[in-house]
Amino acid sequence: MTRECALLLPGVCAALADPRQPGSDDTCLEKLLDWFRSMTEFDPSVSLVQDNPCLTEFITSILALPEPSPSILSFTLRLAGILASSENRFQHLQQEKLLVRLFGTDGPLSSTVWEDASVRSGWVEGVHSMMHHQPALHFLCNGGGIEVIFALQGDPSLFVASAASRLLVHMLILSVESETTKPFSTKDFDWPACAQMIVKRIEDSLQSSSASHVEQSLKLLTSLFSSCHSRWTEVLWLGIAKQIESFLTEETIQVQRILANLLLNMAWSPVFCDSEGSFWALVTSALERLTPVQAGPLAVGILRLYKCPQDVRIQALTVLLQPMDCILRAASQPLEYAGLLDESVSDPATVESLLSSKSSCASLLCQTLAHLEELLSLMYLRVDLPYTSLLRSLMTILQFCNGFLSPASPLGSTISRILINCIRVQRSALDVLAALSERKGCDTLIGSLFDVLLAYLESPNTTSTVLKKTFQATSKWLVRLHELSCSTSQWQQTEKILADVFLVLQKRLCSPCWEVRDSSLEFLTVLIKCLRDQDEFRQSLLSSEVPRLTENLLEDPESYVRASAVTAVGHLAFITFFAPELPVIGNQYSKENTVAKLQEILSKDPEGFPRRAVISMFTKWLRQGCTGRMEDTERFVSRVIQTVEHDLDWEVRLGGLELVEVFCSQTICQLGLPRCSSVPVLSAVASSIHQNRSLQIFCRAKLFSFLFRSLCDCDKPVGQRACDILFALRGNFYPTGTLRDSQETGELPPGHGIAWLQRTLRQGSLAQNFPTGGGDGVDFEDPESMMLALGTIDLEELHDELNRSSDHVEKSPQSLLQDILATVGTIEENEADCY
Amino acid sequence: LVCLRLHPGAGQDVGRSCILVSIAGKNVMLDCGMHMGYNDDRRFPDFSYITQNGRLTDFLDCVIISHFHLDHCGALPYFSEMVGYDGPIYMTHPTKAICPILLEDYRKITVDKKGETNFFTSQMIKDCMKKVVAVHLHQTVQVDEELEIKAYYAGHVLGAAMFQIKVGCESVAYTGDYNMTPDRHLGAAWIDKCRPDLLISESTYATTIRDSKRCRERDFLKKVHETVERGGKVLIPVFALGRAQELCILLETFWERMNLKAPIYFSTGLTEKANHYYKLFITWTNQKIRKTFVQRNMFEFKHIKAFDRAFADNPGPMVVFATPGMLHAGQSLQIFRKWAGNEKNMVIMPGYCVQGTVGHKILSGQRKLEMEGRQILEVKMQVEYMSFSAHADAKGIMQLIRQAEPRNVLLVHGEAKKMEFLKQKIEQEFHVSCYMPANGETATIFTNPSIPVDISLGLLKRETAIGLLPDAKKPKLMHGTLIMKDNSFRLVSPEQALKELGLAEHQLRFTCRVHIQDPRKEHETVLRVYNHLKGVLKDYSVQHLPDGSITVESILIQATAHSEDQGTKVLLVSWTYQDEELGSYLTSLLKKGLPQSTA
Repeated sequence: MTRECALLLPGVCAALADPRQPGSDDTCLEKLLDWFRSMTEFDPSVSLVQDNPCLTEFITSILALPEPSPSILSFTLRLAGILASSENRFQHLQQEKLLVRLFGTDGPLSSTVWEDASVRSGWVEGVHSMMHHQPALHFLCNGGGIEVIFALQGDPSLFVASAASRLLVHMLILSVESETTKPFSTKDFDWPACAQMIVKRIEDSLQSSSASHVEQSLKLLTSLFSSCHSRWTEVLWLGIAKQIESFLTEETIQVQRILANLLLNMAWSPVFCDSEGSFWALVTSALERLTPVQAGPLAVGILRLYKCPQDVRIQALTVLLQPMDCILRAASQPLEYAGLLDESVSDPATVESLLSSKSSCASLLCQTLAHLEELLSLMYLRVDLPYTSLLRSLMTILQFCNGFLSPASPLGSTISRILINCIRVQRSALDVLAALSERKGCDTLIGSLFDVLLAYLESPNTTSTVLKKTFQATSKWLVRLHELSCSTSQWQQTEKILADVFLVLQKRLCSPCWEVRDSSLEFLTVLIKCLRDQDEFRQSLLSSEVPRLTENLLEDPESYVRASAVTAVGHLAFITFFAPELPVIGNQYSKENTVAKLQEILSKDPEGFPRRAVISMFTKWLRQGCTGRMEDTERFVSRVIQTVEHDLDWEVRLGGLELVEVFCSQTICQLGLPRCSSVPVLSAVASSIHQNRSLQIFCRAKLFSFLFRSLCDCDKPVGQRACDILFALRGNFYPTGTLRDSQETGELPPGHGIAWLQRTLRQGSLAQNFPTGGGDGVDFEDPESMMLALGTIDLEELHDELNRSSDHVEKSPQSLLQDILATVGTIEENEADCY
Repeated sequence: LVCLRLHPGAGQDVGRSCILVSIAGKNVMLDCGMHMGYNDDRRFPDFSYITQNGRLTDFLDCVIISHFHLDHCGALPYFSEMVGYDGPIYMTHPTKAICPILLEDYRKITVDKKGETNFFTSQMIKDCMKKVVAVHLHQTVQVDEELEIKAYYAGHVLGAAMFQIKVGCESVAYTGDYNMTPDRHLGAAWIDKCRPDLLISESTYATTIRDSKRCRERDFLKKVHETVERGGKVLIPVFALGRAQELCILLETFWERMNLKAPIYFSTGLTEKANHYYKLFITWTNQKIRKTFVQRNMFEFKHIKAFDRAFADNPGPMVVFATPGMLHAGQSLQIFRKWAGNEKNMVIMPGYCVQGTVGHKILSGQRKLEMEGRQILEVKMQVEYMSFSAHADAKGIMQLIRQAEPRNVLLVHGEAKKMEFLKQKIEQEFHVSCYMPANGETATIFTNPSIPVDISLGLLKRETAIGLLPDAKKPKLMHGTLIMKDNSFRLVSPEQALKELGLAEHQLRFTCRVHIQDPRKEHETVLRVYNHLKGVLKDYSVQHLPDGSITVESILIQATAHSEDQGTKVLLVSWTYQDEELGSYLTSLLKKGLPQSTA
């Protein structure tokens, strides 16, 4: 703690303890606790409480209040817990019996304030904070605290209930791991006293007839097994396994979902997943007995496991595939059935009944689809999925949803009636479809898949969110289609599909709905990014109306759309005028025209998104070497930075700096590094400068003026980036070892105004704008001056300053203490007036 | 009907909203606010409490946003793009248009400030807004087959709405923030007599009767005017939208009226878009603005011009609106530093500032501020706080309850102590239960939903034939078998139910033996029993049958002598399921023995 803080703290404590003061802002109290937490975390010594007696005095005075406010009492409980987190400080507080009075049965626990959830929450959190050593453990166990915590698991406040559960887990682990004396043995394990109490309570509540008690204990076990992977957890499990199994078989208490979650968390623990037999038998039985909706999360969790018996894995997969299998069967003629699952393993009755009921069909499908997407996103899947049938099933679902398929079978017609226009299912199915494109083996169906996708893209009934997902799936499958046609040379099919896609895209680009126009443009950009090297793609695109419509959207009324149009037009340029070989179609695309349009957006658009898109596109062009010869590039960059220099949006200015950064590194790369490697003396530096072409180019392009002004930008990220670039430039122009000397010379030659520049920057770059009109004779276009500036100005110090957050002073503990003190005596009416 | 408060931050804070309502099996999240006082995860609600198993998209049926203030929508992009909610989001058209501007504004400030992690990006805001379904006032929107929502005008800010959520015959109305008195540019909130099972109302000014906003506005203008007159500069830190527009209208008309010449600047480019929306959604503003619109658009500002960074150094008076509103970064902070040292200048804070900002410091009266690099900034300029927020006061809240006639009320968005007072008032005046759950607490409200049931004509005729002629105004009890199938309910006669379900009828009879000490002959005992029952059960038909048994309605009583003890008689009592009550009454009566007097 700093001396300033130590001086402020007594006043703050007195203010907080004063019942006449209006309650302090909750965030202040929270941040105060954060501060104490950070001070005590790595320092077990008693000095904090000894050197600041105001802390214990504060606790004492709160305890003396007849009616403390719940928020300040809650704060006190949490503070005391944090202070008592080390054994030394715990003993110190106990000398005055403060902890007993706060956390014991005669404390707040037995008063009316206990009814306030924030007090109960403070109590639990306080206990949790102190629970790092045996004295705290015994203090609580001997004082009847365990009973309180068990009761709090059923608290009306969710926050309190879950905190109580976490606390019990923490105490159990602490007790076993700090108090066990004998070496571990599964057969005769001696629970330490405190752990014994907790385990006994868990066992009792599992046997009780109250569903909520059972539920609480199952949740507790779940978090225990997921957070602690020690061998002793198995001993606990052996004592309760039978009871838990009975919940599965007898179903007298409805805890199936929690049970599935418990088993899943156990499966992730090495203690159980390495075990043989009984645990996995229980998992298998759960997969069989639980309803598909309950078993789904367990199944997908099992399939993610690295270690798991293969038969359990197959059982889990069966759970996930059954609904998809059922869909396929429902849609096919009796004889043509080629399902996903071997008929011997599938027991379709339950799933069929769920899918044919209106209330459960969509939710079961959505859950299954979400799980399949999760599986498909895994890099290594330890089990084979039948991709082709899965794709067929997905297509069937999508066709049910848009009414393109209504099969004759009773099940099929029921499901199709339920699913028609079901947006939830459409969204989920399209997500899986997109994920499936990465997997090999679905190629035979690709033609009919595009029929389905195109139907969605064309249909006026497709909502904008579904359309967006259809675009995502389509772009992925188009890439796949291209890979395929490369290997099979089936160009005709690809061309036909591309033509159809662009036809529908033309329509969508004219949609009255901005969301649709925007998603269409994003789709186009993705396609160009992935397929711009492919001839058929370029031909289809350029022979369509899409490029023209895209350019039109540069003037869209919606700024999001304008920004996306800028990006799309920018990418289009890669296949029109930036392409290495000219496009096949007659070249109606003029580079000058497009660049001028984007320049105009950059200087005129009233909103930030399109301007940001332009500057980022320009940087992309520059990176890819599309801006022409070096002189052209220099002019281009110079023009752009003069436009963005005065932009109101700091992110545009930041974009400008990025452009400068790329330009600098490219120029230096092209022209080679400066040849001034051994020029310690300033005059020598000056003499070599004129031979340094890159420096001259930067000066001519007015980069330095932009960079130095940016150092004083009112928005920190801009200053920071400028500083980074100047840093890099200095590294280039002053190779290692040469800089120190020049900085130490101290005396600056007159006439360059660098001293003034240095002073201005040192005055605190953020304190003011860079003075307009250039300032005292600094010539930002003079290479010599700039070389001098780079060598002289203390960029390190600036860098450190700019790297800190702009509110780092206001965020400091000292500032927090001052703020609390400042509110003393004021009435906080402002509070309610939030934005 | 279950209602859970899940506000961001740890304590029982005022403001920040996020409420989960479960109604007839549907789960709806009302508002998704953020807390600007924190720089870490505490600024967002802890969504892991919504469901411990399963995905949010599967659990929630929809999210509804009441208005564009960040304490009601600030966590939305985080929720939909980072936590992974992928379902529908509803808000009004103006809210959908303005919400992304504010979110973008706040994102920029947050990034600008630096040192913040886990925050959403521009692309996320856009993707989130694409998931939003915009609704019109009074339009019933069918979220799915069972769940429907409807928006009502709430005043407060442009586009603010109250929402009615209905599933079958159960319903909840959520007010969001509202204002029952019209102000300069917005009308008063209104809801029809929808009689919801629960009305969730904000209660920011639960015990306050607010002075009129007019006074505060006059005060504001006076202060600005005085400063400008003496050549000072006025800084008004604002967020891009909302209050800024309100104050612009004020100043614009005042400048026009007083023919003032000092320039007024607006520092952010975003405002142009904001003003555009205020123009576009003119129908959402109040009558007066709509009327003047014919001659002149109130949001077409003549005196207010765009600000350039260089203007701050210009001599002479000026008024500048600059972002951000709490002086914690960027432009407004920079101008503040330039102007703070001059006692002629003034800063007016038109809104609340969280701790950890320069705004908070100067509002709490601190005049020597430490700046970066250990510099001390002495604040000599005048510091003023002006509250312009528009919430319903205690009177307004009562008025809304009178309008909507809810069966229960739940208060949120207020301080516990003040809410307690209002709760008592509501319970007294309207005789409804009033709840005020703490953050993280759940309130459960039981409803008596009336469920429509089809009845066969035959059964209806038969049932009405029994007893008096039916009275349309009085409920009538019907007997039959309820068949629940495919989401429909039908009441049919038991015979019909048997037929439909292909079941055979079973008769259920209960029997019980009662031992009685009576040395007399069996038929004499029977007679004694008969007389006793005849005396006790005057309203029932008690019969003594020739075969020696007794019947009371369907109950049959027979007597036999005990095989081993002739002095004990065994009474065999048997009855059908329908007469269960009478049967058990009779056995308990007989168990008490026979009265001596009848002998």
